[in-house]
Amino acid sequence: FSLQAQSHVTVSGIVKDEKGQALPGVTVAVRLNGNATAKGVQTDEKGLFRFNNLEAGGPYSFIFTYVGYEAQTLSGYQLKAGEQLSLMVKMKEVSTALNQVVVVGYGTQKQVNLTGAISTLDMRSKENTPVTSASQALHGVSGLWVNQAGGKPGQDGATIRVRGVGTLNNNNPLVLVDGVEYDINEINPDFIDNITVLKDASAAIYGSRAANGVVLITTKSGKKGKVEVNYSYSYGIQNPTKLPDVVWDPIQYMQMKDQALINEGKSPAAVDYTPAQIEEYKNGMATNPYAYPNVNWFDLVLKNGILQQHNLRFSGGSDNVLYSIAVGYMDQDGVLIAANHANRYTLDVNVSANISKRLHVGTSIIGNYRTYTEPAFGGSDATGYYFTRLTRVLPIFSPYTKDGKYGSSVFATPGRNTIENPLMLLKEGSNYHAPQRLLAKVYADYKLPFDITYNINLGIDKLDGYARSFVPYLVTYNPKTGAPNNYNINPSSNSYDENNLNISFYQTLNWQHDFKTRHHLDVMAGTSYNRFDNTNATAHIEGYFDNTLTDLDAGSLNPTANGRVTKDILASYFGRINYSYAEKYLLEATLRYDGSSRFASGNRWGLYPAVSAGWRIDKEAFFGSSRTIDLLKLRASYGKLGNQGNAGNAAGDLYGYLNTVNLGQDYSFNNTVNPGAAVTKFSDADISWETTTAYNLGADASAWNGKLALSVDVFKRKTEDILRPVQIPQQGGGLAGPVTNVGAVNNTGYEVTVTHRNDIGAFNYSVSANVSYVQNKVISLNGESIISTRRTTRAGYPIDAYFLYKAIGIYQSQEEVDNSAKISNAVKPGYVKYADLGGPDGKPDGKIDAYDRVIAGSSIPKYNYSFNINLGYKGLTLNAFFQGVQGINLYPTVNLAMPFNNGAGVTKEWVDNSWTPQNPNASLPILTTATGATENFQPSTFWLKNGSYLRMKNLQLKYELPQGWLSRAKVKRVAVFANGENLLTFTKFKGFDPEKNIQGDTFYEYPSLKTYSFGVNVTF
Amino acid sequence: CSDKALESFPNDRYTEENYWTSEKNVTAALTGCYAALRLEGVLGGDATVLWEETATPNAYNYDDSRGVNAIALGTQTATNSTIINARWRDCNVGIGRCNNFLAKSPAVPMDSALRARMTAEAKFLRALYYGMLETYYGGVPLILDAPDPAAQGKLPRDTRAKVVQQVLKDLDEAAAALPLKYSGGDIGRATKGAALALKARVLLFEASPLNNPSGNITAWKAAADAAKAVIDLAGAGYGLFSDYRSLFLPANENSVESIFDVGAKIPELGNSFDLINRQYNTNAPLRNIVDAYDMKDGSPKEVSPLYDPAKPYENRDPRFYKSMVFPGDTYIGAVTTPTAPFKITGYGVKKYSIYDKEATTNLINQAGRSETNYMYIRFADVLLMYAEAQNEVSGPDATVYDAVNRVRQRAGLAPYEIPAAQTQATMRQLIRHERRVEFAFEGFYYTDIRRWKLAETVMNATIYNSENQPIVKRTFNRDRDYWWPIPQTQRDLNPNLAQNNNY
Repeated sequence: FSLQAQSHVTVSGIVKDEKGQALPGVTVAVRLNGNATAKGVQTDEKGLFRFNNLEAGGPYSFIFTYVGYEAQTLSGYQLKAGEQLSLMVKMKEVSTALNQVVVVGYGTQKQVNLTGAISTLDMRSKENTPVTSASQALHGVSGLWVNQAGGKPGQDGATIRVRGVGTLNNNNPLVLVDGVEYDINEINPDFIDNITVLKDASAAIYGSRAANGVVLITTKSGKKGKVEVNYSYSYGIQNPTKLPDVVWDPIQYMQMKDQALINEGKSPAAVDYTPAQIEEYKNGMATNPYAYPNVNWFDLVLKNGILQQHNLRFSGGSDNVLYSIAVGYMDQDGVLIAANHANRYTLDVNVSANISKRLHVGTSIIGNYRTYTEPAFGGSDATGYYFTRLTRVLPIFSPYTKDGKYGSSVFATPGRNTIENPLMLLKEGSNYHAPQRLLAKVYADYKLPFDITYNINLGIDKLDGYARSFVPYLVTYNPKTGAPNNYNINPSSNSYDENNLNISFYQTLNWQHDFKTRHHLDVMAGTSYNRFDNTNATAHIEGYFDNTLTDLDAGSLNPTANGRVTKDILASYFGRINYSYAEKYLLEATLRYDGSSRFASGNRWGLYPAVSAGWRIDKEAFFGSSRTIDLLKLRASYGKLGNQGNAGNAAGDLYGYLNTVNLGQDYSFNNTVNPGAAVTKFSDADISWETTTAYNLGADASAWNGKLALSVDVFKRKTEDILRPVQIPQQGGGLAGPVTNVGAVNNTGYEVTVTHRNDIGAFNYSVSANVSYVQNKVISLNGESIISTRRTTRAGYPIDAYFLYKAIGIYQSQEEVDNSAKISNAVKPGYVKYADLGGPDGKPDGKIDAYDRVIAGSSIPKYNYSFNINLGYKGLTLNAFFQGVQGINLYPTVNLAMPFNNGAGVTKEWVDNSWTPQNPNASLPILTTATGATENFQPSTFWLKNGSYLRMKNLQLKYELPQGWLSRAKVKRVAVFANGENLLTFTKFKGFDPEKNIQGDTFYEYPSLKTYSFGVNVTF
Repeated sequence: CSDKALESFPNDRYTEENYWTSEKNVTAALTGCYAALRLEGVLGGDATVLWEETATPNAYNYDDSRGVNAIALGTQTATNSTIINARWRDCNVGIGRCNNFLAKSPAVPMDSALRARMTAEAKFLRALYYGMLETYYGGVPLILDAPDPAAQGKLPRDTRAKVVQQVLKDLDEAAAALPLKYSGGDIGRATKGAALALKARVLLFEASPLNNPSGNITAWKAAADAAKAVIDLAGAGYGLFSDYRSLFLPANENSVESIFDVGAKIPELGNSFDLINRQYNTNAPLRNIVDAYDMKDGSPKEVSPLYDPAKPYENRDPRFYKSMVFPGDTYIGAVTTPTAPFKITGYGVKKYSIYDKEATTNLINQAGRSETNYMYIRFADVLLMYAEAQNEVSGPDATVYDAVNRVRQRAGLAPYEIPAAQTQATMRQLIRHERRVEFAFEGFYYTDIRRWKLAETVMNATIYNSENQPIVKRTFNRDRDYWWPIPQTQRDLNPNLAQNNNY
């Protein structure tokens, strides 16, 4: 052999992952004396690499790099000629987004191996923000429309729509906490580690209730290591984001009201306030502000809200036991001066232990005890009722009389038969809710021979929802004469309790196998059983002497009791096969077979198959050894998902297929109540599951070690056999329509997420943005159309599209009125003009009637988008989170949305912007009362508003104290932070926060809140 | 998991399969047929019948309660009036319940006499509900089978004549089987007299100018005979209750004058008459009805020497003081003014309310807390129906004078006799006037002015408050407003429903 050969050395080796699997494609670089040589190689299929002719010498180092794994450097090799060096390298996966483990149905998956459209939310990204309900945290998650209507303490959960609105009934996603169905808002957000949202066929493993998407919440658990104690505290100040701009000036109010009555045709002699009364008021304001107040009622009933949260967690673990024990406390005193206080006491326990080599058991317990108060009057939605009253208060109402009693009003106002003093309604009586919910799960995994694991789970969700209220004896007094005005002479007490027990039981068998040939197979089969036993009872009694004793026992008259027991059962069989080859070709198939008690025998069972596949292009040989692209993956999925019309647990939904004879249709003969019964609703005995067929095509890409990541999905969800109560003609029975399987709805759209992060020295930043587009379209409705007051659902249009007269301006002259089609003979100049578009024959017929309605605008946003900017410098981070919706309309009606509605007041926009002969180009019609000139307030495009908005949802500034300071104090981590929530909103919508109850076309809501909060987060 | 394990049935309601089993259940189903009377679109709700008065020159509804003021103004459409939607719906609710009862109850084993009576009650109620529909909307789909939306939902309107024919048939069959009276806990059920009296009302509507423009005497004769049958009904014991004021108080429910009531009981099944009359004042009387009350000598204010324009509320027909409150009157212990407590017109309604001159602090301010039965048909109505029809048949014969005079006598007019030698035409005016005053604020006048075809005159007018100040000008389109529109919601659901003229 040659000398040349003698001086060369062969170095070979094998690279494996932590599990001992060979890793192909690992780049092995060689450095001599720290200098790169050009001779990098890659490991082959078997993880082997070889350098045949390295020169003897040294020191050599070998650097192993592979996407998703920590780079390894073996250094210090002095190679002697002729020597053969053999290296064994075990590479460790780095925890990056790519190989993060994601919770999926009945298991977990590495993110990089996902084949479905799945959004994940790491709750660390919401850390320290004043989120009070977990549903609020989902704002900004790709593919979701999250709408939080108001910040009512104790009841401020948001509605969640996954990829559009798929059905005409319940559109809420199925929510599971640690695998067990649970209420997303009955858990302290601080207890959540991460949230996964299954948006496509990946949800099909949950079959019958997956059609609206599935939200999987995983709570925090302990990690191996020393005990860690984490404590956080935040203090926030809250204010309404937006309230109607009311004319509070009493004189201006009275003059405007009188003018409105005259404008609509009342004689000047018959207006509400005579000139003498207005004069009296003017003079009285100076001398007797009790009788002639000049106040802003919103200011009187509102104050700063205070939100405080404490959270404390102990966690840790050994080889055999992991534990995490946390408690939380929330105290929220809302923006109303009374009757809106909420507390939450929470407990989270996660313990798991290896009992033997084969047996692993664990438990998770979530305890959520809440209390909150509401105003006394108004029944089940007392706060909503309160806002109907507050939006109806008049500037001339007296808060108090001179001697401190609740005031009424110096002048009677026709149509205001009851003087609701909003201060009195807030401060008097009581309405206390104390729901207590507990989710306890126990589970065990047992390792059977042949790599089979058996998993068994039992979850108990128990709700004890107690509430009581006392409606007191109340009188207001005329602030001038002192004459009493009974507001309520019939004090009553009400107690309510609901007692729900939801049992979830499921078991699975898992078999995983890695074949030597790099085939991987993962097979799971299982069964599940859910049972929902709900009970409620209400007791009501009257006959209290006064307001001192409020218990049921203190009442004496007219006791009433109501209650109901229901049972709802689901039984399921399911299975899944995951197959992958070299983590390059990924295939998943699932099947679920579900039975529900909500349908008649014969229609009970539904079958839900799904398949999905993924292709890691970046792993292909032809892709080469790009150092730029970390990941390039294509995904596709198809599956069927079900929905049983789970509109909560209203009994009508549970027994929708039965033609029932309802009781309570009583009648009195000779002053004795006789029990009566009647059919009140027609039912469809043949109803069955609604089915959503979901298609998804997606691509994920990541480059420069995750510095830039892009994810794109296009989807279609077709929901058929939608369950919906339909209206039926009233003739022949006046029955409520049945819940029936009608028609089909398509949701098609796309989602794009882009993330970029980078470090520049000590400065790091990241920006991410996502946009979700969804087009909602009813495909068929069995030839029917559903029309409610101002919305319709019909083939070819989005669900609940607005269905309105087309407003084409304002009548300028009597001549124009005379020569136009009009809605009634009361129409005058200054009234809204509608287009005559149709008639019985499809042609304009000179009349404005039902034939002239057009579809205009949508109740479902087309776009949901968000973006996030995160800047970090050493311990300082600034995070700004923006979120918005685009392409949605709102239709505000009644009190304060319309002038002088039913005896209510008016907003300032009517002062200058209403039509008069001198102001012909006004944006609003002539000032009238909404009730007295209904012609102007017919459902029309005139009042349809753009509800799109962009808001800075959160702005957080955080400072992590330097480690150097902390180590001396034996503290691991201290962060102090300041937050602003809902600080800025950009919208064309006026009068109220655009993020409101979309279907409730009123301002009768607790306002959305703006929060400034400060706090500290310490880990020992 | 077997299919059986998935079974769950409600515990708070029956199903059609397990309901129709016993006499008790049949009884409850019939009670359900009566319960529809209390729906807001029929004769219940808060005060449907009181508000109907506000679509007449008698009263004014400031805030358009149930959309009645739109009807008063002539601006009602197929969409904008609650009552127009509710009456269609709620009458159909009643019809469906009766039809279901008549279809299902025959199979249930029970006492046959009781079954016959209950069947007749259901027919009476079905006639009442259909009668109400045809009175306001004209022809409607006539459906007599148990509710079956698939078979019935798209049926077009039948003619009004066909509906009336069925109503009369039901009433005849009911009258043949119903008892004259009930006792104890059955008082309040439909009687033979109720069926006959309702028949008279239906026939009177048929005979009236709106539906009988040619003045066909046969129609009037049928109406007169039907009313006469009630007056002559032996054993029923109908008469006029002695005191006009307390007739409308809870204590005197089911008096000799009551022929058919809508039952009310608090707290479960009350109405809101007291709240509406006292506090809401949304049936505020107008100057026009005040002026319509005669003087206490039985002659109009225009001719009576008792009338003093400076003291317009003195010396009026006693029914005036028993029916309403006027400025200067004492009401609940306080003297009223034109603006307090009744600011809307200065007037308030007393009839059907417990409130009067006496002071009390126990003022009902809650809906559904009044328990005065509403008399849907009372004997005075039968007398005046007879008088009106008979006057058309024969002119003012003695029986006509007698019928009207009985009402005037009870009213307390002195003298109460109608001056002799009235012509048929003057008698017609007298009877119409008597009806208006006798039944003021009871909810009958709206249909009276329609059937007399007077609405186009009296409803095209400005209304005035107690100070004679104008409030608003009303309109009435004679080519449109005599009938209500078919609700648009129903025409959306069933395009086969033709709309009434000019809506």
